[in-house]
Amino acid sequence: MVRVRDLSKAFGGNPVLEGVDLTVLEGTVTALIGPSGAGKSTLLRCMNLLERPDAGEIEIGSHRIDARSRFSKRQLYALRRETGMVFQHFNLFPHMSVMRNVVLPQQRILGRSKAEAEHRAQELLARMGLADKGGQYPNKCSGGQQQRIAIARALALEPRVMLFDEPTSALDPEVGAEVLEVMKELAAEGMTMIVVTHEMGFARNVCEDLVVMADGGIIEQGDPQRIMGDPSHPRTRSFLHAVLQR
Amino acid sequence: MTFFADAQEFLPALLGGLRVSLLLTLLSLLFGLPLATVLAFGIRSHNPVLHWLSVAFVEVGRGAPALVVLQFMYFGLPTAGLTLSAMASATLALTWTTGAYCAEYLRGGLSGVPQGEIEGAEALGMTWGDTLRYIVIPQGWRIALPSLMGFAVILFQTTSLAYTVTVPELMSQAYSIGSSTFKYLTVFVLAGILYAMISIPATWLSVLVEKRLNKHL
Ligand SMILES: Nc1ncnc2c1ncn2[C@@H]1O[C@H](COP(=O)(O)OP(=O)(O)OP(=O)(O)O)[C@@H](O)[C@H]1O
Ligand SMILES: [Mg+2]
Repeated sequence: MVRVRDLSKAFGGNPVLEGVDLTVLEGTVTALIGPSGAGKSTLLRCMNLLERPDAGEIEIGSHRIDARSRFSKRQLYALRRETGMVFQHFNLFPHMSVMRNVVLPQQRILGRSKAEAEHRAQELLARMGLADKGGQYPNKCSGGQQQRIAIARALALEPRVMLFDEPTSALDPEVGAEVLEVMKELAAEGMTMIVVTHEMGFARNVCEDLVVMADGGIIEQGDPQRIMGDPSHPRTRSFLHAVLQR
Repeated sequence: MTFFADAQEFLPALLGGLRVSLLLTLLSLLFGLPLATVLAFGIRSHNPVLHWLSVAFVEVGRGAPALVVLQFMYFGLPTAGLTLSAMASATLALTWTTGAYCAEYLRGGLSGVPQGEIEGAEALGMTWGDTLRYIVIPQGWRIALPSLMGFAVILFQTTSLAYTVTVPELMSQAYSIGSSTFKYLTVFVLAGILYAMISIPATWLSVLVEKRLNKHL
C-alpha cells in the first residue's frame, strides 16, 4: 500500500502542495489529472523524495518517512527502492548501451551479478518488444522505444509501485499508444501504478481510481467513469471540458 | 641546398629538444589533470574553505602568465629556501597552469551534465557516489574533453617558455644552435616545423575524438 498523509511542500515560500492525503491500494492503477501547475509532478516527486516535502508522511510498503523528523540516507534509499519512476523525457543514460542502462542499476542497487542482471534485462526488453535493442545506444531509438527502455530499467529493480509523470506527453500519439499498451499490460499483471496523464482514455479504461488535483490539493477522487461522467467539482468540470475539447 | 645540409646537422639536437618538450607536456598533464579534477570538485564544494581555496588556486593559475609562474618557481623559490632542478620547476609551474585551466573546463563539463540524467539515476535509488561515478563524471569528462585536448596542444607550445629556465627543450636547443652558428632563420624554421608537426595532427585528432564522443549524444 502507498499512503501519503498531510503532505505539504512550498517552493520559496510559494505553497505547491497543501495537506495532501492519498492512499493507493496494492495492485491498483491511479490516474492523477489536473491543470498545469496543480502540483501533480511535485506530489509524485515527493513520493520518492526527489523533492523533500516540508511536512507530512510517506508510507510505501513497510517503509515510512516523516518529513518533519530527520531520516537517514539509508531510509531514503530504502524508500526509493520501493518506487520506480518514469519521466516525460525518459532520462536514459545516453553514454551507455540500452542493455547497460538496464543492467547497471540492478548491479549497483540490488547487487545482482552481471549475468543475472543481463538475464533479467533481456527478459524485460523482450516484454517491451525491444529484444533486439540491447546493443543500441538510446539516441538511436525512437521516443517510444526510449520510454519503454526507461520502463524496463525501472521494472528491473522490482519496485512495489511505479510512478509515471506524463510518460506519453513528449511522444507522437501513435508512438504514445505503444507505451500506453505496455502500461496497460503492466496494470493487468497487477502492478501498482500512479500515473500523471492527460490521456483520458487510459484514465477511464485502465485506471481503478481517478484523482483530480488543482491548486496544490486533491479536489476530487473516485471511480474514473463516474467522475468523467458526472464531475461534482466545478474545477473538475471545466478541466475535463478543456481536455476533451482538444 | 645549404638549408637541407644544415637541417641534417641540426636535426638530432632539435629532436632531442622535442623529446624534452613532449616529456614536459606529458608530465604536466599527468599531474595537472588529477589536480584539475580535485579543483573542479573543490570549486563545486559547499564547504567554504575548500571552495575559496580552490577558487584562489585556479584564479592565480589563470591570472598569472605561465612565464611568471615559471620564473617564480625557478628563481623565486630558492630565495625561500627551496631549490628545484630546472625540469622540476618547469613541471611544477605548468602543472599549476594545467590544473587551473583544466579545472574550469572540467567544472563546465560537470555542470553540463543534463539534470534529467542525474534525476534518472537518483530516482532509481543510486547513491550520490554511484551517480557521480557512473553518470556525472563520465559525462562531464566527455563534455570537457575537446577543450582539454585543445588545451594540451597549447600547453605543448607553452613548454617553449621553459627555455628561460634552462630546460633543454626544443626552443632552447634552437636558440643555442642559432647563437653558435648564426643560422637563426634555418633553425627557427625547423623548430617551427617540428612544433607544427605535433600540434596540427593533435588538433585533427581532437576534432576526430569530439566527433566520436558525440556519436551517442
Ligand atoms: N523546483 C521548483 N522550484 C520552484 N517552483 C517549482 C519547482 N517545481 C515546481 N514548482 C512550481 O510548483 C507548481 C506546481 O508544479 P508541478 O510541476 O508540480 O505542476 P504539475 O501539476 O505537474 O503541472 P504540469 O501539468 O504543467 O506538469 C508550479 O507553479 C511550479 O511553477
Ligand atoms: Mg508536471
